[in-house]
Amino acid sequence: MTAAIEIEGLRKTFHSLRHGRRVAVDGFDLVVGAGQVHGFLGPNGSGKTTTLRALLGLVRADGGRMSVLGAPSPTHLPEVAGRVGAIVESPQFFGNFTAHRTLRLLAVAGGVPVSRVDEVLEQVGLRDRGHERVKGYSLGMKQRLAVASALLKGPELLILDEPANGLDPAGIREMRDLMRSLAAAGVTVLVSSHILGEIQLICDHVTIISRGRRVATGRVDEVLAGFDQHEFRVRVAEPGRAADLLGAAGLPVRAYADHLVVGQVSDPTTVSRVLGEQGLWVQELTPLRPDLESAFLELTGEGAHPALPRQVDGAEPAHGASEGLIDLDVRVGRDRGGDA
Amino acid sequence: MNLVRAELERLGARRFVQLMLVLLVLAFGVTAATTLAGSHRPTVQELSDARANAAEARRHMDEMYQRCVDRVNGNLPPEAEEEYFPADCNELDPVRQERLPVATDFLPGVFVFAQQARPLLYFLVAFLVLFGFLVGASYIGADLNSGGVVNLLLWRPQRLAVLGTKLGTLLGAVLGLSLLASAAYLAAFWLIGQAAGFPGRLDGEFWRGLGAVHGRGLVLVLLATALGFALATLGRHTSAALGTVAAYAVVWELGARLVLEIVDAPRPDRFMLSSHVGAWLTGRAEFWDGQACGDSGAGFCDGFYTLTWGPALAVLLALTAVLGVAAFVAFRRRDLI
Repeated sequence: MTAAIEIEGLRKTFHSLRHGRRVAVDGFDLVVGAGQVHGFLGPNGSGKTTTLRALLGLVRADGGRMSVLGAPSPTHLPEVAGRVGAIVESPQFFGNFTAHRTLRLLAVAGGVPVSRVDEVLEQVGLRDRGHERVKGYSLGMKQRLAVASALLKGPELLILDEPANGLDPAGIREMRDLMRSLAAAGVTVLVSSHILGEIQLICDHVTIISRGRRVATGRVDEVLAGFDQHEFRVRVAEPGRAADLLGAAGLPVRAYADHLVVGQVSDPTTVSRVLGEQGLWVQELTPLRPDLESAFLELTGEGAHPALPRQVDGAEPAHGASEGLIDLDVRVGRDRGGDA
Repeated sequence: MNLVRAELERLGARRFVQLMLVLLVLAFGVTAATTLAGSHRPTVQELSDARANAAEARRHMDEMYQRCVDRVNGNLPPEAEEEYFPADCNELDPVRQERLPVATDFLPGVFVFAQQARPLLYFLVAFLVLFGFLVGASYIGADLNSGGVVNLLLWRPQRLAVLGTKLGTLLGAVLGLSLLASAAYLAAFWLIGQAAGFPGRLDGEFWRGLGAVHGRGLVLVLLATALGFALATLGRHTSAALGTVAAYAVVWELGARLVLEIVDAPRPDRFMLSSHVGAWLTGRAEFWDGQACGDSGAGFCDGFYTLTWGPALAVLLALTAVLGVAAFVAFRRRDLI
């Protein structure tokens, strides 16, 4: 597999008089293969944007090695910049310029035919509003404009930092369709997002970062498989008796008000058989598949204290807490037995 | 080349630049209109009177000088002894004066181009210096603040080339505008002088002098533009440049000047940028040094000293170069977050 993006051991520490030293990225690794739609996940302040900025030469890395489309970054980035479209965190534009003028200036600066401007405005759904001043745009429209600016070059590699920010549900769906069509056209896409459901729908690969370190990477289904505890939700007429029977059969059972969650079920017919033999007929037998949100929360420790206000990643990484790649023995501890 | 085109378009599309251009045209229009309204073509009689008055004034100067010399030689009648004359009669010598009265000095209500061109040009240069500084600062300041530079760097990830192109484009645009504005400005007033005033003596010496002021003024405009650009780049914001200038004016030009005077520092004006700006623009600036003569009170003491354009230019160039280099170094190393 040819890598469109390779990052190895990226380190970046910010220093400021007010806030002192803050490690943003600490030995982070990322490989995005050509043609992939790669999701880049992490909590606020985990180092996603810093990583993307370093990759694009906007932030000076303290250490590590990066390459984009085979060119070492940032030293040889200019050689491939024409093939890379990117937006990094809430992009801002001159409020007094129209979207059309904004894109035209970028096209002129980048040596792209100005005719592309109308094409990309159409592509992101701004065709009819392209001659309005950007200051009148909603956040979602600005986001569309940012994506349009990234598409202007007709890139081979698209790097999108939170492209769904500010978009309404319809806009998110359009963005999803756009990314799918780009991927179908062979464009490699690296997309960071908080909207985990979207990543799961769009991406074939995913990398999860927490406190500046990679905690999981791989195909989405492989990453999720690491969290599959083979649990099933079971509804029966007599849940108490059913729990006893299943427990006696050696299956771990958690009882809830109106259903049971049975773990370590390698073959669901076992559940039907154990209960059926004792005259208990199964009303519902649903596999509880892990989703990206569960995996994400588990890996990043975001779901550990649901009652407490969550703090933005800001401290230095807890060494050892998230060393290396995903530990496939990690088990999702929180209850997925509800309406998961 | 594409980047220069894009930057030129971006510069021209800036609201602030457009506003400053409107102000320039407005100031130009008001000045020209009031000049036109307050001037008339002198009649033959007025010209004749003015020539007579100038001749009379020159004759009076000769007479005063002669009387001074006579007093020194003891040739004045006793009743004239009470008249005031300077200790050194050379001060009254018409030959030693910078200029002698001419007819145009005696044409009230008449715009005389030869006399007014230089102050008018100083006014234009002052405006263009302000224009260059503000536009230079806001051009990069707004771009840094709004994320425009980041957008551009995603397209052209060559920081020094991008910043250098911005500065080069800015300086080129300001120079072009300054040349156009000054040509239009001087031409308009020359026409007013021809049509509704009096041209005055427009010989080679006049045009050479005016050209020198013009050239030095343009250099000053470019230095101010580069300075505004550099300060805003260093401070990442337009207001950083404005704040720096305001702080310099209050702390150094006012505060430090006061302190230097209190501690009787010799020649405090030479430490002030404003002195060097004046010296550069006018060719030489003369200042009084209160400490030069001491308290002896004995004999004649010339406490004046001059700053000439050469050292003044060196100071202004060095300051701009240092800040410019610092801005490029900072921009090259800076994390754009």
